[in-house]
Amino acid sequence: MIKTGIPKLDEFLDGGIPKGKSLVYYMQPGVEGEVFGMQTIYSALKDGGNCVLVASSTIPDITRGQFKEFGWDINQFNNKFISVDAYNPLIGAPSKEKYIVSNPDNIEEFSRIIVDIIKQLPPSTIVFGSLSTIMDLCGERKVIEAVRIWNKMAMLYDHVMVYNFTAWPYSQETLDLMKGELFNAVISIGGIVERVIFGQYFEILKSDWTKEIKRSMLFRVLRPGGIKLYIPKILVTGPFDSGKSTFVHALSTRAISVDRLGTTIALDHGHVDYKGFSADIFGTPGQERFDPIIRLLSGESMGVFLVIDSTNPSDFTRAKQMLKITMSYGLPYVIIANKQDLDGALTPEEVREQFDLPEDVPIIPAVAKDKIGVYEAFEVLIDSVTGGI
Amino acid sequence: MPDTIDMIDKILTDMKNVGGVEACAAVSRDGLLIRAIVQNWQFAESFAAMSATMLGAAETATVELGKGIPHRVIVESGQGRLVAVGAGPRALLVVTVDSDTGLGLVLIELEKAAKKLKELLI
Repeated sequence: MIKTGIPKLDEFLDGGIPKGKSLVYYMQPGVEGEVFGMQTIYSALKDGGNCVLVASSTIPDITRGQFKEFGWDINQFNNKFISVDAYNPLIGAPSKEKYIVSNPDNIEEFSRIIVDIIKQLPPSTIVFGSLSTIMDLCGERKVIEAVRIWNKMAMLYDHVMVYNFTAWPYSQETLDLMKGELFNAVISIGGIVERVIFGQYFEILKSDWTKEIKRSMLFRVLRPGGIKLYIPKILVTGPFDSGKSTFVHALSTRAISVDRLGTTIALDHGHVDYKGFSADIFGTPGQERFDPIIRLLSGESMGVFLVIDSTNPSDFTRAKQMLKITMSYGLPYVIIANKQDLDGALTPEEVREQFDLPEDVPIIPAVAKDKIGVYEAFEVLIDSVTGGI
Repeated sequence: MPDTIDMIDKILTDMKNVGGVEACAAVSRDGLLIRAIVQNWQFAESFAAMSATMLGAAETATVELGKGIPHRVIVESGQGRLVAVGAGPRALLVVTVDSDTGLGLVLIELEKAAKKLKELLI
């Protein structure tokens, strides 16, 4: 089993890609998809595996440079990482790689080299930088037949096959095969426009070694950093003086607040980078006179933290009201039972009782000023936002 | 998707090319950054959130007073100006302008750009 290195995807795939299996990253034209194959290479190398990159759309040196851009040092794995150069010969440039496809437009030669690699190398992760480029050079049908053979051979020799494929307007038959029977797993990567959120997502279309999971995840490509799951907006709300700003600052990698006279008057804004996730956090003011602004800024949230002062049950009605104002009902939310360090703080169970909350709403005890409970709360919320598994 | 983004980028690039404009951004009404041309990306998201709050708060304030929806919010400081205008129900446009340039042309171009952005996001 090798890990894809893509956050959450490994979880969805029950740990990663088993040996002998094939997986295709099936991308819509125009999305930043090549990074998927690269991130999988880096992840496999980091776990001590052997990797082969079949470079058919750029020279291997440029690809090495791209790894660097993402902050992934692959030079340390030099003896475990092999490039197959199927690009330099195309432009008539010399190549210094061990494996060279001297006629990249000849599928027989291409196939011979790939099959040699499959037979000679110990079980490896073999990544095709761009299967669509090979298809453009050699023709759709021939490449599909070659892929069938490669995947079968890989199964015999325990390799993992990973393909980057851009879904240019090929014949419908080809596209259906790519999305269907040709591979053990298909990860579709595309772009969405949902109102004002312009994003890229990936989803599992098929995986024959796991239960079917139809769930799409928004992502961003960061340099350095690679693929991070992206959550455009998480709202932090709650009554006056419950510790919302403190919570935002405790959780965020960087954050700013508009505070006057010790209270938030506009909003707190923070950015979190944590465990492969990238999220923007919006903290609302708590006092009633700011309700119009709260309403204004709470749109498009994907999840809500409701921060309450555990020593002050008289504010719980206001807390409930704020869920209503932010139109948060229906969104996943987590209650932060803050100020647990103070005398008279209610336990999460007591909060649930007083608040009259259903059993399935998570209540996390926290001391925001000491960063206690904040990351736990983040993980719980992220899990429900992403339909956690 | 790439088309809409390209078109928003075109609006922003045109805006950025107006004399005196230092940075500009398209922001959703609820404070999410759509696209921006800025020097420092790290701060773009906070900049977006704050701009949306400012314009939203200004609109709320004047409407409550019965003075109608403001055309724009202009913030002046020693180092420059910041102008935010609404661009339809979904978005707003924000620019920062250096302190030496007259605002006249900037405001005219900003108005045009906001209209285009509004059309794009309908």
